[in-house]
Amino acid sequence: MARLALLLRLARRSVLRNRRRTLIILVAISVALWAMIFFAALTRGWENDVVHNAIFTLTGHLQVHAPGYRDDPSVDHSMKPPNATVAQLLAGTEVAAWGTRVRVPAVVMSEHDTAGVTLVGIDPAAERGLSFIADAVHTGRYLDSPDDRGILIGRALADRLGTGVGKRVVVMSQAADHSVADRGFRVVGLFEGDREATEMAYVFVGRRTAMTMLKLGSRVSELAVMLRDRRQLPAFLARLRTAASGLDVQPWTTLEPMAQAMVALGQAWIWMFFVVMYVAMAFGLVNTMLMAVMERTREFGMLQALGMRPRLILIQVVFESCFLLAAGAAAGIGLAAGTLSLLHGGINLSILAQGAEMWGMGKVIYPAAAVVDVIGATALVVVLGVFSSLYPAWRAARRVPIEAITRN
Amino acid sequence: MSAGTVIRSTSPQRPGLRLYLRLAWRNVWRNPRRTLLTLSAVAFAAVILVFMVSMQLGGYGAMIRGATGVFTGDLQVQAEGYHAKQRLRTAIADASSVEARVAAVPGVTAVSSRAQAFALVSSATRTYGGMIVGVDPAKEPSVSTIPRTIRKGRYLSGATSDEAVVGQALASNLSLTVGDEITVLGQGLDGSLAVAVLKVVGIFSSGVPELDRQTVEMPLASFQSAFLLGDRVHAIVVRTGGLEAVPHVAGLIRAAIANRPGLTVLRWDQLLEGLKQGIAMDAAVGWFLYTALVLVVTFSILNTFLMSVLERTREFGVFLALGTRPRILGRVVILESVILLLLGLAIGTLAGAGITAYAGVHGIAFSSSEELLAQWSLPARIYPRLDLLSVTLGPAAILLATLVAALFPARRIRRLRPVDAMKAV
Amino acid sequence: MTRSLRSGLVALALILAAFGALKATAAADDPATIVKGAIDYWRDVTSYTVVEMTVHRPDWERASLMRAWTRGEKDSLVRFVKPARDAGSATLKVGDDMWIFSPKLNRVIKLPFSMMAQSWMGSDFSYNDLAKSDQIIHNFTHRLVKTDKQDGHAVYVIESTPLPNAPVIWGKERLRIRDDHLLLEETFFDQDGKPVKRLSAVKIGRLGGKVYVTSMRMEKLDEADHWTEITYRKASFGLSLPDAVFTLSNLRNPRPGWERP
Repeated sequence: MARLALLLRLARRSVLRNRRRTLIILVAISVALWAMIFFAALTRGWENDVVHNAIFTLTGHLQVHAPGYRDDPSVDHSMKPPNATVAQLLAGTEVAAWGTRVRVPAVVMSEHDTAGVTLVGIDPAAERGLSFIADAVHTGRYLDSPDDRGILIGRALADRLGTGVGKRVVVMSQAADHSVADRGFRVVGLFEGDREATEMAYVFVGRRTAMTMLKLGSRVSELAVMLRDRRQLPAFLARLRTAASGLDVQPWTTLEPMAQAMVALGQAWIWMFFVVMYVAMAFGLVNTMLMAVMERTREFGMLQALGMRPRLILIQVVFESCFLLAAGAAAGIGLAAGTLSLLHGGINLSILAQGAEMWGMGKVIYPAAAVVDVIGATALVVVLGVFSSLYPAWRAARRVPIEAITRN
Repeated sequence: MSAGTVIRSTSPQRPGLRLYLRLAWRNVWRNPRRTLLTLSAVAFAAVILVFMVSMQLGGYGAMIRGATGVFTGDLQVQAEGYHAKQRLRTAIADASSVEARVAAVPGVTAVSSRAQAFALVSSATRTYGGMIVGVDPAKEPSVSTIPRTIRKGRYLSGATSDEAVVGQALASNLSLTVGDEITVLGQGLDGSLAVAVLKVVGIFSSGVPELDRQTVEMPLASFQSAFLLGDRVHAIVVRTGGLEAVPHVAGLIRAAIANRPGLTVLRWDQLLEGLKQGIAMDAAVGWFLYTALVLVVTFSILNTFLMSVLERTREFGVFLALGTRPRILGRVVILESVILLLLGLAIGTLAGAGITAYAGVHGIAFSSSEELLAQWSLPARIYPRLDLLSVTLGPAAILLATLVAALFPARRIRRLRPVDAMKAV
Repeated sequence: MTRSLRSGLVALALILAAFGALKATAAADDPATIVKGAIDYWRDVTSYTVVEMTVHRPDWERASLMRAWTRGEKDSLVRFVKPARDAGSATLKVGDDMWIFSPKLNRVIKLPFSMMAQSWMGSDFSYNDLAKSDQIIHNFTHRLVKTDKQDGHAVYVIESTPLPNAPVIWGKERLRIRDDHLLLEETFFDQDGKPVKRLSAVKIGRLGGKVYVTSMRMEKLDEADHWTEITYRKASFGLSLPDAVFTLSNLRNPRPGWERP
């Protein structure tokens, strides 16, 4: 133990002996780690955004439809509301939120323009925690009840139609009996979506109002479910499939395959970058340690001549590198934490909104440092850093004392 | 180090570059292990940057070619106002002569004219709204990949006037198969009913959901007669030799049709605005990564440079005491660094270019994310693009950053005082 | 475009006016009755008309000729005679549904809801305008603003506001109805109170045995020189039109007759 303490003290002293050199390698290590963590946080922010958007843009964790609805999402493929078995499952503790919806193609018209949209009839209360819409109203109010006679439209759509809160729009669609269904709605609120495409694509009305308008009786288009924990999805899915036999029950990963693929891609990018940064940093570290070792050839020779075992010298050098790595890592993490807290409010991409949508991103991206990435990056830098310092350490330990002392 | 030469150089006659070089070269190899490590660091960064930049530029190229190749083309000639609001009447009159003019412009490799209108498309059982596009069956394959993405049947032959190819999603919505008949009902130029009965000869899957969901292509001549367009079209689609040529060719086309007022030439980046922004955004992330890499490598190397100066402090002190000017010592030190950097960059650039060239021939497969790549108009295999820019950009950035790092230790020498320096350990 | 036009439109396409149905009694002052009276007079119980339609744009103009049958508020059949290109094309409306027939296709196509807002035959009327011809009666509340004097007639100026959930995009409409049931003018306002388009009587004469607006024009007020004019060449009202007139089979294979009382 005492020997260890001595080694630590020796190592610390050597590190502090050449402050400039130490500082420079610390900068290299911390910049590398900072970049790794920051990039990982950006990528995770993107992934979260993609997944969050996929799930909260009306998908939920899973959905139930009538067979055929996914190919032809029209009034022709509707289903009865959840039966008793399904309702029992939905009342289970693992379910955080669920709701039934009417969801059909429609045309919305103002005095000035006409746009094709998806008409969504919702239970306003059920959508809390189930989709984005409950928290997305930007001007005006949210819907009160499934019987609400108002309509929520996206801000971008309102601009295009030249309409606004308090004005009337007409929605036309096809009723269950294939007649034209149309009705005037007062715009009660404008919602803001994370993506402009969302604002253009959906209009929301009370579910029962929509069912009446479309002559659906008690039938609905879909059931969306949000679980408390995404990990419970497979088990819950299996039970729901049994309960809702004859219906099409699908998880979000099937409904939104792109989101899934983007997450996998993001993961691969993060690790590729980690490795590249590590290698770049390792060259500097090994070189620095090598120099530190070589200029002390005489010192190590003396120590050996005085009876210090080569293994201890090796350990001492490894300790030195540990100091550097630990200090560098701490600085890098601190730097990253600082940067990320500066970007706490997210990075606003609205001027590049169209480009952002191409990558599946919303108008604002929130960098999100994942613990696993911070630990991964730090471990990679420190563990492999120590590992790469074995070479200089081995060189220091291997010297034959006499040669070492007499040299130079 | 053979100091004698340098000592004698205190005479008014200035030592030559060759001498510096010899000195520097010898110093570089004084500590071969350190030199090799430094070389490796520089070379590694160069390899990564050359490869990644080539990959990125190649990816963008593929993305742009992919996105424009499906339907849009590199350039389009349109009537002014058509891009903003697609009205049937906003058309290019006397289109054949305009097309001929455009085709004659140097740098234009392919041209095809299109007319399009929104109309009702009906199968025996169902009706959907769709975008009907009149195309020249012979020329269309040279500007669009749709003719090559026929999943069932074949593309328009041009032999008969009543053929149609239909996007896959639209075909499935209409429950159509090859051989079925569709009717098209729209509004002609004068508002009268425009009708056509067409036979589905093929079903395409372009990979662009919007196109597959709503597009029907039919022969241009029948389209023009059904919609009463005469010799009018809505877009003359142009392919050029390469993306770099687009702005120049756009200028030439503009000049060639200058006598036809009311026409406008739109580049791909104006036609597909999101694509350009998306690329700009990806590039920004790329620059962040490269900057971080260059920074880390620079600091890694900085220590080497610094050490090689510090460990020779005593030696420098002797030189100075003997009358060598600090400036000359500084030059030698910088020269050492430059030699080291150039050598590392040369090795790295060559290796990077080699790897990239190999990948450029064979492509890099991303088979697992094929669908995802398709969404970004990327093929399943990406071919990095090796050109002067992609090869020099990264290494130049490294050279610049590390040179700054090399100046730092060299500056120290100027501040050295012979007596103190000789006392240094 | 709006279904609201309906009253106007309806008239256009479907045309007619009831001859003696409600002899031009001095209308009661109830504005709803005045409006219903005008629409009923216009459409009559049944009608057969020959109509010329001119669509005018700054750079072109197109004239067409059509024959139209109407019955009650909901049913109508319009068949084009000229130009040659459109001859035989026809639009049938039964209840709320519309079908199009094209002799070139030899097919009947049911109009999907997504097309209802499109222009009808390139005119300033949409399919909706035709389909919702009776809307002014059912989907509005009416208020008599004032009564003018014109050519020895009283002219009621009525402001009509759509009911809360009516499928009407307009903020309001303003009607000018003469005391002999002639609809002289119908102006459509957006929800900010700005007039957007106007249907107005161009000519008044005797037709099919009654005083009738024989020519009317729909113009867009925000686009100069955009208008569609409808002129009645012939009209007979109060025919006995069997169900067979308003069927898909008659749409496809027109049977002769049904043009006279």
